Amino acid sequence: MPLFPRSASAAKQSAETPSRGAARRIRKTGVVAAAAAVVMALSACGGGAAPQNADGTVELRFSWWGGDKRAQLTQEAIKQFEAENPNIKIKPEFGDWSGYWDKLATQVAANDAPDIIQMDEKYITEYSSRGALLDLSKYEIDTSKLDEAALNAGKSEDGLTGIAAGINAATILANPAVFEAAGVPLPDDSKWTWDDFERIASEITEKSPKGTYGAAAYGTDEASLGVWLRQNGRSLYTSDGKLGFEPSDIAEWWAFLKQLSENKAVPTASEVVEAEAAPLDQSGLATGKNGMAFWWSNQAPALEKASGSDLKILRFPTKTGSSADAGLWYKASQFWSASSRTKHPEETAKFINFLANNVKAGETLLADRGVYPNSEVRAAIESKLTPADVKVVKFIDQIKDELGEAPAPPPKGAGSIQEIIKRYTSEVLFERLSTEEAGKKAHDEMKSAISS
Amino acid sequence: MSAISELSSISRRKGKLSAEEKKANGRDNKAAYIFLLPWLVGLVAITIGPMIMSLYLSFTDYNLLQPPEWVGLDNFTRMLTDARLHNSLGVTFTYVLVGVPLQLAVALLIALVLDKGLRGLPFYRSVFYLPSLLGGSVAVAILWKQIFGTTGLVNQVLAMFGIQGPGWISDPSTALGSIILLHVWTFGAPMIIFLAGLRQIPVMYYEAAKVDGATTLQQFWRITMPMLSPILFFNLVLQIIGSFQSFTQAFIVSGGNGGPSDSTMFFTLYLYQKGFGQFDMGYASAMAWFLLVIIGVFTAINFIASKYWVFYDD
Repeated sequence: MPLFPRSASAAKQSAETPSRGAARRIRKTGVVAAAAAVVMALSACGGGAAPQNADGTVELRFSWWGGDKRAQLTQEAIKQFEAENPNIKIKPEFGDWSGYWDKLATQVAANDAPDIIQMDEKYITEYSSRGALLDLSKYEIDTSKLDEAALNAGKSEDGLTGIAAGINAATILANPAVFEAAGVPLPDDSKWTWDDFERIASEITEKSPKGTYGAAAYGTDEASLGVWLRQNGRSLYTSDGKLGFEPSDIAEWWAFLKQLSENKAVPTASEVVEAEAAPLDQSGLATGKNGMAFWWSNQAPALEKASGSDLKILRFPTKTGSSADAGLWYKASQFWSASSRTKHPEETAKFINFLANNVKAGETLLADRGVYPNSEVRAAIESKLTPADVKVVKFIDQIKDELGEAPAPPPKGAGSIQEIIKRYTSEVLFERLSTEEAGKKAHDEMKSAISS
Repeated sequence: MSAISELSSISRRKGKLSAEEKKANGRDNKAAYIFLLPWLVGLVAITIGPMIMSLYLSFTDYNLLQPPEWVGLDNFTRMLTDARLHNSLGVTFTYVLVGVPLQLAVALLIALVLDKGLRGLPFYRSVFYLPSLLGGSVAVAILWKQIFGTTGLVNQVLAMFGIQGPGWISDPSTALGSIILLHVWTFGAPMIIFLAGLRQIPVMYYEAAKVDGATTLQQFWRITMPMLSPILFFNLVLQIIGSFQSFTQAFIVSGGNGGPSDSTMFFTLYLYQKGFGQFDMGYASAMAWFLLVIIGVFTAINFIASKYWVFYDD
């Protein structure tokens, strides 16, 4: 509504000069002109030119998503790189996950993409299949020390478009302080079932002050759905880029969530919606309002810092009560990618190489982006890890023999899946749709999202 | 309104002009165009240009990363069967048809009170105008989110009376209402315009009415409303156009996803999601043009209807 203040302040002026009876009237022509101007002011998009760097030195732009802790660590790593490479300047651009992808899409469209891009598996196919990412195998990046599975996750028919920044797993993080206050013992995550999960969570809610719940609701992203499907012999995606489940599978997942909600194991529908929008530092787990919550393993240290208590990393519950059936997998937490239109591919590759293989970078970044895929760096930084990081590394190690098959990479369009899951989760929790209807509709929408 | 009065005085002189007057006018016009230039450059470079581009894009499949591909009317036919788009239209129409009349009613009411020659009028005028300056801003939308949250200020007050309030902005049945309330709260801009209009109504009409024994209510309906109708019309046109395009409040309050359950999915928000979130810029461009048509139609209806209720007394 850009025109309101202007016309109103003009109006204010004429109101201040008393003109009663002066008969200065708004004429139709004036209204027409003003209306036309407003109509024309509709939907304009600006364009931006790429900034050019100064003489001699090369300036690279590096964008990532993440919280305060990551920003500090990453900027520290940048400083070390710049000290080693005085002719390369790295300009950081960072923000929250929620705005990151809109911004990146716009920048890429405007031919103004950052040179180094922190990429996620959900979007990497989208960008690489459309030629927006550089094939890093053509540049000097040492991949010999990298974990093979992690390295393969960044490969596609478009080449090596992403170097895994870390290894991750889906987890349930528990806040022992909340358990203690409620007088509920922590579960044994090597043999707990979903029924145990429900029982423990409802017990915590019951014995805690109002507003504190045993667990955060799942259903706000695809990680927990992925685990659930794998435990039921399905998968999120198939290797040929289709959905790997039926509407009834996702309906069952929601039916259990509804059951959790009815037993007050998880917050009310309204609180679940509000929690979705909260950044990591203000999440229910960080503020001590949830006993347990669904997070990626690399987020544990940041959450521990935000919550101020000693968190425990748990495996997902299973149907059978054996952690061998948990269906977890190693995920590339995020990728280092480069824009295919970067003017300085060599320097960009040099920086990515530094991030992936340099011990100094490892000593700074530690386990913030997951466990280091480079075995040499991983060994070298072991002694530097903070207690929170050690927990993450241990957990990743612990589940090594229980992992299921590596899941198929998310196809093009997978970036929209999370939003669809979220939307139908709230439809179910607010009882606007039955779980069957939600399952069917969500399945349809997801199918068309990844097939277009 | 000075610019508009200016325009009207120009149009009023359309009659016969002497040669000398024409010459003087030409000089005036040149000066006017020079003053207009910065705006004109802006209009062409950042409004008309992109508009033409988006018109072209609306006939293409454009994913932002690769060159657009011509698909004819596909985007427009897709709109016919897009259930989420239909829902977003419903949300937007509700917002406009409920929010605009409510906001104008509040604005008029406050303007009438302030027009009664209150002491410290400039102060009150500024205070009431303040929300208009802030209302579209991100900060206020965030504040709104806090006030209307499940444990926000509103529910804390309700709790004092033993009422358990819903999560106003997180419950699909009340979320849109909360955003409409935010819109109504920004009544300052139309209020200022109403106030200016009220001051232009000659006092003698009221004096004459009083002599004839008209009640305050009669004076309002027989004098104030007809005399104010051009102003009301002006406000109505502006507010309807503006409200159709509103985006920020819904974007911030819902965290960008139009939730919960698409209950605050404004047309503009859906457009934004399609274009920037789902790499469907061709479709988003088509939506933008569809919105332009909707606004055009509403504005046209407004002008046609105005013949029957707007009163120009000179």
